[in-house]
Amino acid sequence: MDLALQLLFTGIGIGAVYALVALGFVLIFRATNVVNFAQGEFSMVAAYLMVVFAVDLGWPYWLSFLLALAGMALLGAIFNLGVYYPLRHRTFLPVIIATIGASILLANSVLAIYGPQPQVLEGWFDTPGIQLGPVYLDSQYLLIIAVTIVLVIFNYWFFEHTMLGKKLQATSQDKEMASLLGISVSTMIMITFIYSAVLGGLAGILVAPVLFVSIQMGSTIALKAFAATIIGGFGDVAGAIIGGLALGIIETFGAAYISVPYKDGFAFLVLVAFLIFRPQGIFGERVAEKA
Amino acid sequence: MTLTRRDFTAGLAVGITAPYVIGSARAQGATIKIGMCVPVTGPAAEQGLWAQNGAKLALAAVNKAGGVLGKQVELVIEDDQTTNPGIVLAFSKLAAQSDIVGFLGSIRSTQVHAMAPDVLKLGKPVMIGGTDPALTHMGNQWLFRFRPNDSYSGRVIADYGVNTLGKKKWAIVHSTDAFGTAGGKALASALEKLGTPAVLDQGYANQSQDFTPVVLAVKQSGADVLGTYFTFENDLGIFARQLRQLGVNIPWVGSPSVVAVSSTKLAGPALFGTYGVADYAEDSSEASKSFGKAYRDAYKTAPDNQSAWPYDALTILSAAINKAGSTDPVKIREAILATKKFAGAEGEYNFDQNGDGLHGYNVVRNEKGTIVYDKHIDFND
Amino acid sequence: MSAPSDNMPIAVSAPRTRPLLLRHLPYFIGAAVLVALAATMQFDGYILNILMEATTFAIAVFGLSVVLGLCGQINLAQAAFFGLGAYAVGIGTSDYHLSYWFCIAGGCILALLAGALLGMSTLRLGGHYLAMVTISFQQIVTLVMINTIWLTHGPDGVSNIGRPDLFTSAQSYLAFCVAMLALVGYAVWHLSDTRLGRAMRAVRDNELAAGVVGIDVFRTKVSAFALSAVLGGLAGGLFAGGFAYVSPDQFSFAESVVFLTMSLLGGVASPIGSAIGTGLLILIPEWLRFLKSVPGLYLAIYGLSVILIIRYMPDGIWGFVNLATARWRAKARVHAAGLALLLKPATIGGNIVLEVKGLAKYFGGLKAVDDVDIEVRRGGVHALIGPNGSGKTTTLNVLSGLYKATAGRVILDGTDVTDMPPHQRAAAGLGRTFQNIRLFRSMTALENVVIGAERPGNTLLGNGGDALTERAMSALTFVGLGVRANELISSFSYGHQRLIEIARALAANPTLLLLDEPAAGLNSSEKMELHELLKRIAAQGLTILIIDHDMTLVSEAAQHITVLNFGRRIADGESMAVLRHPDVVSAYLGTD
Repeated sequence: MDLALQLLFTGIGIGAVYALVALGFVLIFRATNVVNFAQGEFSMVAAYLMVVFAVDLGWPYWLSFLLALAGMALLGAIFNLGVYYPLRHRTFLPVIIATIGASILLANSVLAIYGPQPQVLEGWFDTPGIQLGPVYLDSQYLLIIAVTIVLVIFNYWFFEHTMLGKKLQATSQDKEMASLLGISVSTMIMITFIYSAVLGGLAGILVAPVLFVSIQMGSTIALKAFAATIIGGFGDVAGAIIGGLALGIIETFGAAYISVPYKDGFAFLVLVAFLIFRPQGIFGERVAEKA
Repeated sequence: MTLTRRDFTAGLAVGITAPYVIGSARAQGATIKIGMCVPVTGPAAEQGLWAQNGAKLALAAVNKAGGVLGKQVELVIEDDQTTNPGIVLAFSKLAAQSDIVGFLGSIRSTQVHAMAPDVLKLGKPVMIGGTDPALTHMGNQWLFRFRPNDSYSGRVIADYGVNTLGKKKWAIVHSTDAFGTAGGKALASALEKLGTPAVLDQGYANQSQDFTPVVLAVKQSGADVLGTYFTFENDLGIFARQLRQLGVNIPWVGSPSVVAVSSTKLAGPALFGTYGVADYAEDSSEASKSFGKAYRDAYKTAPDNQSAWPYDALTILSAAINKAGSTDPVKIREAILATKKFAGAEGEYNFDQNGDGLHGYNVVRNEKGTIVYDKHIDFND
Repeated sequence: MSAPSDNMPIAVSAPRTRPLLLRHLPYFIGAAVLVALAATMQFDGYILNILMEATTFAIAVFGLSVVLGLCGQINLAQAAFFGLGAYAVGIGTSDYHLSYWFCIAGGCILALLAGALLGMSTLRLGGHYLAMVTISFQQIVTLVMINTIWLTHGPDGVSNIGRPDLFTSAQSYLAFCVAMLALVGYAVWHLSDTRLGRAMRAVRDNELAAGVVGIDVFRTKVSAFALSAVLGGLAGGLFAGGFAYVSPDQFSFAESVVFLTMSLLGGVASPIGSAIGTGLLILIPEWLRFLKSVPGLYLAIYGLSVILIIRYMPDGIWGFVNLATARWRAKARVHAAGLALLLKPATIGGNIVLEVKGLAKYFGGLKAVDDVDIEVRRGGVHALIGPNGSGKTTTLNVLSGLYKATAGRVILDGTDVTDMPPHQRAAAGLGRTFQNIRLFRSMTALENVVIGAERPGNTLLGNGGDALTERAMSALTFVGLGVRANELISSFSYGHQRLIEIARALAANPTLLLLDEPAAGLNSSEKMELHELLKRIAAQGLTILIIDHDMTLVSEAAQHITVLNFGRRIADGESMAVLRHPDVVSAYLGTD
């Protein structure tokens, strides 16, 4: 039982990381109908920015944090202008491939600049964790879980109760209608990319103290987050969160009770099972019938 | 003086070709070439750089001492991209240059496996750092190993834990890649021979983001000592932190990665008090110390096994060619195998007929972040 | 029965084309020369390895040109299929000492099964799902290779892989691989002109239209996917023999991306492009080694190039070259104008060709079509009219199987087609056009119509390879576009595209032709032509069900009219009577 509780905590913690990255996937997918395969690299780049500001330059943590997120906003904008926007009238296939290209570009640019050696980024807290009865709660995981909860609430408020959020919603549902209503679709897509890049970056900065900062950190998380997105039902924010948490928990328990080496396989097996038996995901993708 | 057209043409031809002729003459005659396959790109690019540093240090020493067969030695480096197909291509590119007399191969066992068929075909000596015991036991007479193989690391870990630390209940954690699997197997069989079979033998996949299930398995097994084979330092770092967080504080004797510079940096206090086997330990011998000093002087950083074995390999290969008195592969081979009691940076080389030069390891200890030499354990078989 | 129509009865006998194999003799001679070169030239080990890699990779990339280029489906697991073939040969020859031929065949079958199963489980979803599932499959295959040590030796990999007795030397084995490359290249090159290949291109260009002209879209996609997997497996098997060593990292996701990039770089639609892309992506890294001294720099440039290629050379190098040379290459392969088009609608049922009973289609709470009955009599023109949003197009989409009926039955010429998918309805004799024209845009007019003529169950096809072309030419000539048969769709005016779509439907010799607002977007002279055309079609006894807003067209062409409003039938009967019906008048003019 103690064992299960400990696993549950870890599963939720790692699942929350997947959920954060998955959220970025969902937002871009809803706005543009494409999957951004470079979403994981956003996390990686943000973590390296933190290392540059907080470790190499020795600036205060909060300042480095804000600067890193600002850097991510800039990256999101450049990404949109350089990768998505020129291809917006083409089918999803070229866009997917271009984002794969972008992911290779980002990962290796960082490698070229920073070298392959993993880096250390300290967490927000001085205490590494709390012992709560039989369960050890890692403080960074606690923070990640808390941020995820806050973001879920923020997203709900933002999309349902602010004008900008509603405009973004309208754009993602029907671009033609949105532009007829006087919403600038390209501005909305730009905002979406910036927001997802910041979200992805946030995930990267939060997870860096746990996983260390390495070139590969983004791609491994992104693949799982992507699986979480599908399990949750493409385009559904709540689905992405629940999908991410579910995946984290399944993976951790699968590793503990079935096989550690095949840990990464569980995520994909669950995913394939979902695609075969419930392709619309937990919450179901809203598929419009069109002829 | 009149210039005939014929003279002119001939002169022109000489003028055009002369640089090539001279260039190729220099290439063929003036130096002894040694090829080196090393990661310049890919995940191990940085370690590749250290390896080049080590080799170049030896190169400078050899050339300063008069070179080989009276000529200067030249190192021809090819990028193996840290991949198996990469090293096959890199090696074939080097192999195509017939004036290369010997090679430095990879520290990665899978890469050596990948290039081994081509090595056999070429029939020239290749120095390797890969530690999979099978490499020198598969009938390929052209591979010479400059690090102790994993059967020794397993035996040393087991010997140190059982005889020095007096621990009998072992948990083994190893990566499921080639290095980790071979190492885990060697440790398990060494423990069985000592009459203390492991209570847990747990594999994990590289680049795992979380080790809680592994740590809990160790905790539940009731083991009082831990033996590990980790491949990547960031995996090791995550594992070490989670191990301590979840309250496992049993003695830990691991493969070289436990005491690697980068792991120490990543994991911090979580690795204090751990033991690791190391083929290179600066304080283990005079030769090691002098290599360490030379390396620090040249590159301003601490040396490790990534740079030590290519240093030894190039030194011993050069000495062997000198001893053989020719670049004939068979003669070089005999000269390498005849190398006994050679004090290298990695330890004392006593080549056996399989091509293994070293037969033991140093045990070192992480003393609050500094790696200190503990003892050397050698085997005679 | 209809008399042969008297339009443009040009029947020039076509000059016999030379047999296919003879025409392609230059290809085979070229291939033989390459094989001979591979077998005899003295390569050093480095060149030999590069050639071996290029040859085997190219075959795997051919697979991608089938699934991605021809069929438009993404496959991010080609390295996994490649790996299946490679491990089959590796493990089989090295550990179990089986015959090389047996192993490579086994590897192909393994890849085929995996590809078909993967395709069947996800190709109904398509798009980003397919991308994700193929990535997952790729990851699982890699994990299995690493972890099932008893079988695969894990990360150590498999060494001492055997070659066939005939080709034990590296040089002769390379020649063998080049020969395989030439054969596979030939097959892939010609695939696009086969029935399956055309079906794949049709699915890629326009899935809906493909279904409606009688192509089983799902089966076509699965075939493309499985074929691509087999080529991956074959290539892997050859690769294993060539390098005598395989290990899991050679078949990782990164390799799948490399395959994909090779395909895109060269040009995804053609095997020549694949070969160019493969060659370049194997050579470029060798040429650009100096860039690699900074770790990551080379790959960063590589990633940037992928983005640039996608943006500026969407059809790859070969597509680019093709486009640039298209003008002076424009070969005039003139097809003889076809025989006068013969339409011979099947007559199995009775006097009623189409019987619709109680048809309903709800979208959630919206009753787009509700309890509609329609009876279309044989040999006439029947019009379905109604104001905007009355459910006409929805009805047509339910009739052709694009939507599933919520309730009701649809009986076509005595066959209940209610539960059939579009392609089966097409086979049962249903043809249609679309309001927003759905042609296969990357193809010529002739190819579009040939696909129509290929409808399963078309009884008017003679035997022999040229019968299809003849039939298609007849149909194009019938609509007046025979002389422009070899032009691409994009070069036709809107009105002409509409005619081509009708010709595509006619070539299939349907029993019932559904025309969805054929006059929409046409100018008045084009409308006149269309009207004439409808008359000529009707004169051959083909039954037409037409939707249109143009009352002049409808009242002149149709003998029978059904009127829908708010998804319900409000009038039905002889044209003139229906058009004077007070409900119809009020529905169109509005009442207060």
